[in-house]
Amino acid sequence: MELFLQRLFDGLSQGSVYSLIALGLVIIYRGTGHLNFAQGEMALFCTYVVYQCGEWGIPLGIALPIGMLVGFVMGATVEVTLIRPIAKKSQFAVFIVTLGLFQFLNWLDGAIWKDQPLPNSGVGSSQQSFPSLFPNKPDDFVNVFGAAIKIQSIGVFALVIVLTGLLFLLFNRTKLGLSMNAVASNAESAKLVGIRTNLVLMMSWGIAAAIGALGGVVFAGINSNVNLGLMFSVFIYASAAATLGGFDSPGGAVLGGLIIGVIENMAAGYSDEWIGQELKVGVALVVILVVLLVKPSGLFGTAKVERV
Amino acid sequence: MSILHARQLSAGYGPVTVLHDIELVVEEGEIVVILGANGAGKTTTMRAVSGTIPRQGSVELNGHDITKLSPDAIVRQGVAQVPQGRGTFPELSVHDNLRAGAITRHDGSAAVAADMERWYGQFPRLAERKDQRAGSLSGGEQQMLAIARALMSRPKLLLCDEPSLGLAPLITQELFAVIERLNKEEGLSVLLVEQNANLAMHMASRVYLLETGRIVAEGSAEELSADDTIRKAYLGF
Repeated sequence: MELFLQRLFDGLSQGSVYSLIALGLVIIYRGTGHLNFAQGEMALFCTYVVYQCGEWGIPLGIALPIGMLVGFVMGATVEVTLIRPIAKKSQFAVFIVTLGLFQFLNWLDGAIWKDQPLPNSGVGSSQQSFPSLFPNKPDDFVNVFGAAIKIQSIGVFALVIVLTGLLFLLFNRTKLGLSMNAVASNAESAKLVGIRTNLVLMMSWGIAAAIGALGGVVFAGINSNVNLGLMFSVFIYASAAATLGGFDSPGGAVLGGLIIGVIENMAAGYSDEWIGQELKVGVALVVILVVLLVKPSGLFGTAKVERV
Repeated sequence: MSILHARQLSAGYGPVTVLHDIELVVEEGEIVVILGANGAGKTTTMRAVSGTIPRQGSVELNGHDITKLSPDAIVRQGVAQVPQGRGTFPELSVHDNLRAGAITRHDGSAAVAADMERWYGQFPRLAERKDQRAGSLSGGEQQMLAIARALMSRPKLLLCDEPSLGLAPLITQELFAVIERLNKEEGLSVLLVEQNANLAMHMASRVYLLETGRIVAEGSAEELSADDTIRKAYLGF
C-alpha cells in the first residue's frame, strides 16, 4: 500500500510535467492544426534561461516568470516568422519546419551551455542543483497513510491543477478564450465575426510555449539538473498524453498526462523484470497505438460533428 | 451618403477574374438584392465587399475607404456577413456562437446579454438548443444561428449570401420576414444575394442583375419585373 501510494504520487508529479507539455501541444493544435515537434525543445531553452538567471543570482520567483516570458516571446515569434508564412504555402511543410526548429534549438542550447548536466561545479556553476519550486530536501516528506510522499510531488500536482483551472477560465470566460475556440472551430468564420485570427494564433503559440517553459522548469527541478536530452522522452510522453486525452481538449491533455505518468511509474515499478526503466518509453507508444485503434479522437477529443 | 459604395470593383480567384468593374450602391435603410444565375459572380461580389478575396477598385463604407482593410477589420467597421453555407462554429454551443458574434462589441456584457435574449425571442428554436453544439443543428436552424450571430455585432450593414440555400420554402419565408422587419423597424441596411428571385424581389428596395460578372440591369423591383425580357429570363414568370 505504501509503495503503491508512493508510485502513484511519483507518477502524478511526473505526469504533471507531461500534462504541461501536452497542454502546449493541444493549444497549438487547436489553433492551427499543427503538431509542434519543437514544443519540448522550446521549453528546454527556457529552462536553460532559468538556470542562467540562477547563475546571475536571480531568485527562482523572478527567474521563472522571466523564463515563461522568454517562452511566450519565442512562441509568438516562431508563429509569426516561421509558421504563418510557410503554412500559407504548404501545411505539410510546417511539420518539417517544427522538426528543424527542434534540431536548431537543441544545437543552440548545446552551443551556449555545452553538453553536460547543469548546474555542474566542474564548470563553475554557483548553484548546487537546479532550483525547485517546492521543498525537495531529503527530509521534505509528508506521511499519507503510512507512505512517505515528497512535498515536491504534491506541490507539482497542485500546480498543474491550479493552472488547469486558470486555463478553464481563459477558454470559457474570456474573449481571448472564446476567440481561440472560434478559430479552432472555423478560422474563416472567425474572421467574419471580426476576430483578429492572426493575433489569436500568435497568442496561442506564445501561451503554449510559456506553459511549456513552466513544464521544463518543474521537470528540471524534479531532476535537479537541466541537460540537452531532458525533454526527449518528455515530448514522447506528452504526445501520448495529448493523443490519449484528445488533441483538441486541454482538460484531456492534463488528464492524459497524469494517466501516462502513473501508468509509466506503475509499469516500471511493478514489472521491473520485463519492462523496467529501459522499456518504459515503450509504454507511451503502446498507449498511443491503443488509443488510435480504439478511440482515435481520444478520451475527450471531439469527433467532428456536422449535419448537412 | 450611401452606406456602401463600390466602384470599379473587380475580383477573382488566382488568374481568373470573375467580377468585372461593377458599381454597387446601398443607401442607408435599403434592402438591395443581387440576382443572378449560378456562376454569375454573386458570392464573389459578397467576398469582394467583405474583403475575403483580393480585389481591385474601391469600396467605401459611409464615405470611408475600406478597400485596404482586412476582413476582420471590416467587420469591426460595422459590416456583418452571413456567409454562404452558414459558416457557424460547429464545435461551439449555440450560445457561444452568439457570444462570438458579439466579440467586437465594447458596450458591456449587459447590453450583449439583452441582445442575446432578443434573438432568442426572435428565434425560439435557438433558445431551445442554446447549449447544443451548432454542428448538430438542422440546416434551417444553422441559417438562423448564422443570421442571429451576424446581428449580435449590431451591424450597420448586413451581407447575406443566399440565405435560402438548402432551406424549405416556409423557413426561407420566415427568415426573409425577420430581415424585412429589422430593416423596417431599425433601419438595418441589407445587401442580399439570391437565386430565389421571387421571394427576394418582394422585399427589395432595389435590385441588381448580375450576369457573368457584370451588372446588366439595375432598378426597383417593379421596374425590373415590368421589363418583359428580364422577367422571362431571370424571374421565370
